[in-house]
Amino acid sequence: MEEDEFFGEETFQHYCAEFIKHSQKIGDGWEWRTSKDCSDGYMCKTQFQIKNRTAVSHRGTSARVQTCLPMEEALEPPLDDFEVTETTTATEVIKYEYHVLYSCSYQVPVLYFRASFLDGSPLALKDIWEGVHECYKTRLLHGPWDTITQQEHPILGQPFFVLHPCKTNEFMTPVLKNSQKFNRNVNYITSWLSMVGPAVGLNLPLSYARAAFQDEGNVDRQDSSIEPKSLEEL
Amino acid sequence: MAEEPESALQLPPSIAAEGEGPTEVSPETATPEPPSSAAVSPGTEEPAGDTKKKIDILLKAVGDTPIMKTKKWAVERTRTIQGLIDFIKKFLKLVASEQLFIYVNQSFAPSPDQEVGTLYECFGSDGKLVLHYCKSQAWG
Repeated sequence: MEEDEFFGEETFQHYCAEFIKHSQKIGDGWEWRTSKDCSDGYMCKTQFQIKNRTAVSHRGTSARVQTCLPMEEALEPPLDDFEVTETTTATEVIKYEYHVLYSCSYQVPVLYFRASFLDGSPLALKDIWEGVHECYKTRLLHGPWDTITQQEHPILGQPFFVLHPCKTNEFMTPVLKNSQKFNRNVNYITSWLSMVGPAVGLNLPLSYARAAFQDEGNVDRQDSSIEPKSLEEL
Repeated sequence: MAEEPESALQLPPSIAAEGEGPTEVSPETATPEPPSSAAVSPGTEEPAGDTKKKIDILLKAVGDTPIMKTKKWAVERTRTIQGLIDFIKKFLKLVASEQLFIYVNQSFAPSPDQEVGTLYECFGSDGKLVLHYCKSQAWG
């Protein structure tokens, strides 16, 4: 990376290209898409997640307060057939789309995503929040409306959820500077996506961690001749 | 807020850090204890002795993140990254609004559900797994 933690669109595309190369090797499903009118492009991936939701059904009602009631009715028999309190498990398949775009104003990548049921009905923001990993919930809940917002996809023009990029530079800088100390050529996109993805259900396979470096070799292996006590100086 | 430079610390390879359960965190682990091979992993009551079940993890701070006085821990293989994050956050007394990331290879954040045993198999060397950690305000 030529300078600090900011980079231009070209560098963005370069890192995406490297990322996609590895994705293709392992069949992770990422693709590059270009917009028809301009040289802009973005990286995208679609994945399906199966969620087993346990619902305690009372006669005639559903205890679940999610916004996917229409889906429920399509899947399950009329609830008034249940005369006793019963626990049922409904399996839902949810389609997630993740798009990685470049933000000119912030000069960082931005993660756009949306989710829908198989019948095409979109998940509401409430459902998205439900899917946020426990690890992140507390922090995100401190300011949910600042961190995940709904915006128009800059290229597709459709509504997507967005992880706000204003702090990206802040959390990427120490990591990149630390890696530079060890002369590592880090793929910004790989590193960044590994950090923000899990918050919204996107997990990168571990093999990306190795592919992030130009010179894989044994650079991450400690020289076996070094005495144990010098571990402190790593 | 960074503490003294890491290279100035001369800690024995293994330190028995006791009482580091999820609900009880003692910040006073700098109390010198006789070097012991029975390093207690965070979040467990049982003493380590079985090298098969536990792996050695070396924690390195990144940026302005406070440096943990105890850096080397014996951790059960099945402990997840999330579990380790929770532990470090409590250990460093981070507030809820602060996010903590853990990295392998200094720049890749494994999924929170990833088990450290798996990470050790992939990225460990010389009997230990080096993990970097960094606190940040990642969101908002």
